Amino acid sequence: MYNMDAYLKTLTSNAVKLSKKMQDNLAEGTRDFRFENQAHFLDTNEDKMREIRKNLDSKYEKEKLDGLKRLIAMISKGRDVSEFFPDVVKNVASNSLEVRKLVYIYILRYAEQEQDLALLSINTFQKDLSDKNQLIRAMALRVMSGIRVPVISPIVMLGIKKCVTDLSPYVRKIAAHAIPKCYQLDPAQKDALIDIISTMLGDNSTYTIGSVIMAFNQVCPDRLDLIHPQYRKLCKMLVDMDEWGQITAMDLLLRYSRTQFLNPIGKLSATPTTRVKKEKSNVKSFYSDDDSDVSHHSSRSSDSESDDENNSVDPDLAFLLKCALPLLQSRNSQVVLSVAKLYMHLAPAQDSYKIGRPLIRLLRTHREIQYVVLNNIVAIASQRPYVFDQFYQHFFVRSTDPAFIRNLKLDILTLIASESNITFILRELQEYVKSSNKDFVTQAIEAIGRCASNIPAMAESCLGGLLKLSYSKSDSVAAQSVVAIRRLLQQRPGDCIYMITQLTKALDEITESLARANIFWLVGQYCSQLSTVAPDVLRKAAKSFCSESESSKLQILTLGGKVVAQEGTSSKTINLLFQYVLNMARYDLDYNVRDRARFLRVLVYGEQKSKKISSGDHGQEVHEDEDHEEHEDQVEDVGGFEYNEKELKLSDHVKAILLSDKPAPVQENPSHGREQYKIGSMSLVLNRAVAGYEPLPDWPTTQPDPSVRRLAATMEAPGYMNDRTGFGSDSVYAQSRQGQSGGFGGSGNNGSRYGQTTAGPGAQSLDKFLESSEEETDSSDETDSDEDETSEEEDSSGEEETSEEEEDEDEEEEEDDGDKDEGSSSEEEAILPPSSKRSNSRR
Amino acid sequence: MAAGEDVTREDVLPIIASPKYQLINVYRDGLTYLSPVTKEVDPIMVFEFLHRFSDIMLEYFGQVSETVIKENFVTVYQLLEEMMDDGFPLTTEPNALKEIVPAPNILSKVITTMGATTSVSTRKMPHGMSNLPWRKAGVKYTSNEIFFDIVEEIDAIVDSTGKAVSCEAHGTIQTNSRLSGMPDLTLSFVNPRLVDDCSFHPSVRFNKWESDKVLSFVPPDGHFRLMSYRVNLPSQQNLPVQVKPSFNIGANGAKFDITVSLRNTDGKPLENVVLTLPLQKSTASLTATCNVGQYMFDPVGKVLRWDIGKILPRERAPVISGSFGLGASSDATVNSGFNIGLEFLINSHSLSGLKVDVLKLFNEGYKPYKGVRTMTKAGRYQVRA
Repeated sequence: MYNMDAYLKTLTSNAVKLSKKMQDNLAEGTRDFRFENQAHFLDTNEDKMREIRKNLDSKYEKEKLDGLKRLIAMISKGRDVSEFFPDVVKNVASNSLEVRKLVYIYILRYAEQEQDLALLSINTFQKDLSDKNQLIRAMALRVMSGIRVPVISPIVMLGIKKCVTDLSPYVRKIAAHAIPKCYQLDPAQKDALIDIISTMLGDNSTYTIGSVIMAFNQVCPDRLDLIHPQYRKLCKMLVDMDEWGQITAMDLLLRYSRTQFLNPIGKLSATPTTRVKKEKSNVKSFYSDDDSDVSHHSSRSSDSESDDENNSVDPDLAFLLKCALPLLQSRNSQVVLSVAKLYMHLAPAQDSYKIGRPLIRLLRTHREIQYVVLNNIVAIASQRPYVFDQFYQHFFVRSTDPAFIRNLKLDILTLIASESNITFILRELQEYVKSSNKDFVTQAIEAIGRCASNIPAMAESCLGGLLKLSYSKSDSVAAQSVVAIRRLLQQRPGDCIYMITQLTKALDEITESLARANIFWLVGQYCSQLSTVAPDVLRKAAKSFCSESESSKLQILTLGGKVVAQEGTSSKTINLLFQYVLNMARYDLDYNVRDRARFLRVLVYGEQKSKKISSGDHGQEVHEDEDHEEHEDQVEDVGGFEYNEKELKLSDHVKAILLSDKPAPVQENPSHGREQYKIGSMSLVLNRAVAGYEPLPDWPTTQPDPSVRRLAATMEAPGYMNDRTGFGSDSVYAQSRQGQSGGFGGSGNNGSRYGQTTAGPGAQSLDKFLESSEEETDSSDETDSDEDETSEEEDSSGEEETSEEEEDEDEEEEEDDGDKDEGSSSEEEAILPPSSKRSNSRR
Repeated sequence: MAAGEDVTREDVLPIIASPKYQLINVYRDGLTYLSPVTKEVDPIMVFEFLHRFSDIMLEYFGQVSETVIKENFVTVYQLLEEMMDDGFPLTTEPNALKEIVPAPNILSKVITTMGATTSVSTRKMPHGMSNLPWRKAGVKYTSNEIFFDIVEEIDAIVDSTGKAVSCEAHGTIQTNSRLSGMPDLTLSFVNPRLVDDCSFHPSVRFNKWESDKVLSFVPPDGHFRLMSYRVNLPSQQNLPVQVKPSFNIGANGAKFDITVSLRNTDGKPLENVVLTLPLQKSTASLTATCNVGQYMFDPVGKVLRWDIGKILPRERAPVISGSFGLGASSDATVNSGFNIGLEFLINSHSLSGLKVDVLKLFNEGYKPYKGVRTMTKAGRYQVRA
């Protein structure tokens, strides 16, 4: 009984103690809980700072964590907390992964400043490299390679070498990432690192290979010879790599292909496949004639003929393009753009229509991406407008588009305008003129002008539209339309007279100086055909001369000069008018106007008259004028005159000087020049070569040896590399499933995303690879024998169709076998690192 | 990464160039993500990464704002550390990241705080990655469910006569997967040929879509976007709604009335209808009456916002009419047009008509519950007047 009592007593006291302890814990816990919000760490007063050191020395992980979090907070606020380095380094071997991760962040940040102390941590990392958890191994190598202390480069090198043969593809991936870091640390290691890269290129894990290629691009981008044996394998693996790996891989394959294959692109006009494109090319050649660029054009067409002959695409290159095509459906915009890059720079021109649709899709994503994609579309459309001409609706401007998007869209609309879509585009552009944003209106009118000059057939209606706009009550609209009309008329002298007469009628209403100046110039230039209108315009202009703007005054003077030159000095009225204008200009406030007046006076009336008027030094004056003249675009060529003051009477030549034919302005798209840069590059967006920009290598003129890519058939990758784990290659888990459930035919095939892309050993020949999927349907569950079979398989014709069907059957089988499969791949499988799983399936 | 806002932030170029540096910036949710670049790089890759980072934060914290980042800055630091290695993206799949950087959630916090001092050190080490980087290993649910939300947005420019100048539908299939183990799913549609162009989550097998027009995939755990697609609609497409604006502009003011009427919604009501009408900067005052909902005029931004709410079929069409006065400098206004913006939502309706047919599950024994919802929204919907 006593025992019982005592027992009860201790029990109650224990219970009390326990509950008290629980309460304490709870109280503390809830206090912490309230603070779980990490923001309070950002409070950095001095008291708290002092606590940090204490926290870091604490034996409790939780306090250490608090201290570290406070440190990270300091870093984020830009404070230098390197003084805590010794205290932090002590915790590098902490048992808590959470503590360690924060320590790593800290070390990576300050190791460069505290090199000696940083060395203290190296031992731990080296030990961690042999940890059984792949994440720990990977993390150790990441931090070690990230510490920028040159002394440790040999140790990093050893670490890389160790991890390169790691069974876990994740660790190998990290090892690949460490290579460029090690190279930066100690460039002398380059050769050894290249050796490592060359081995790692044989890796068959889609998880790893992207990072290996990244390392390759960083360390030895020129060693393309290392790619030869891996080329086909890389193409094949492309679809299963992770998004970022796909991007780097396509970069590499682009560079590789540009050096190893003959140019298959063909010329723009050489698109014999479809009739529509044929028409396009006709349009193109039609207006390239118009540009009086006949020589260029003829050379182009002869080029295209010769191209047609050797326009065959190397099978290896065709394979790459085929492998890249499905990536157009990636969710990652850069992947899509990289495929577009491949197709623009590698594929025959007639294939480029494939990239149109996906690029249009990207326009629906974030505005920043939209901006870059539009820039690239400009570059593509300026070379191959037919890629986008059916998508014109997608480039219509929305009222909510920011300015930079708006302008790009206008550029694209003018570039892709063709006879089939021009009516819609023009209607749309006229809609934009209604906008209340002046800049936008200006751009839209310019765009109408550009459309008209690109498509001569439509120029008529464009001009009509512009003329209507020039009556607009809005000054800026009127001004811009007159400018656009002027440009167009210069290209099409035939239509001039009627248009100019119309414009002069509007002169009274147009107040914008730019518009008036342009009309004056037009009248002057074509005054020979406007013998009745021109003098009248001059009369009106003389009347309003004082109230005109500077640019208009200059143009009125020129107009006067031209009319006089045309009519000769005989017509008294005109002469008087001109002299009136000259006299007005002589006392103008603006020196440019005064200069121009003096110049024209001497030019038209010769020196005698000017002597009377101006008492200055003629030689100098004429000389000045000569300079002046060169600056003005009005007079085209002065160099032809043998300048001799004594003998030459300029006035004899005045008609030739003033009324010579002016070259029509070439209207260039504002974004002209982008097409010379690589699609997708920063340089293209900025339209200038950015530091580090490498232009694409030129195509070779003779075919390099294609057999180099076949060498790989004999090469066998080390066992650990044939691990097929990784992005996309679900085949692996399908295989392991197979191993467990006794196997049903072809599940290895079923898993692979791209039927035939099941990674084989090394690389096989094209044909073999196409069949490999079929072979695998018969293969046993042993990976190795499976591989051997595929590589030894004979060449029979590909039968993808059947393999596809079998795949479907398999799936149904699977459904039946569902119960049998259950759980086989879930827990147990996944918990094991992939490496050990592989050994399972091997057994 | 800095937070900031500016009035004209929308118009800042996404790439600001100086002779030596390029500042790549992303503006999202009122935050600016900035990435300075010193040498040639594919800019979209940077944009894509920055947006991906923002997506991941959204996935981790439920929302992204300056306060949220401050409250979780340690996690944010760890995420950055894992996602980016020496300037190259490393792990960007949410499922894989959650293995390495635990997401903050109430339950785990309660456990760690209750366990107080001891359990931090004995916390289970993450055991490693699964075969598929986008899927966690060892997922277990008591009830296995998967939900598909088909959300379509209409982008349209409609001219004053009610004709669509351009018109297309963009759809996404947002998926929430709560399935155990490693399920291998095949989703088929009744009418897959409607899809004009599409992009997929990395888990989707491209060739299956190419050959059979089915989506075959092993889903990630949790929320993800399975597919986005574009449907080209014919320009004679019957849009679900018609806006009839009329403006009568006088010397120093204008009268307007706008009618919104339902068309072609399969008898479904139009919900959350909001009409916005930005007016000229010179607009001085505005008075209006509407028979449904309520309107608001923002005198600073000069925007009329009319909250219509729900429009039921066969009900009287909502009308707003009124007048506004124009200030002195109404020079350019005479000619300029108006752009009406419209927002709306139609539940259980898909404009394109895309329908899910069957979901088959392989590799696991259970029968999952499949939920499909469709919804049509106005995307960039603009009516010119």
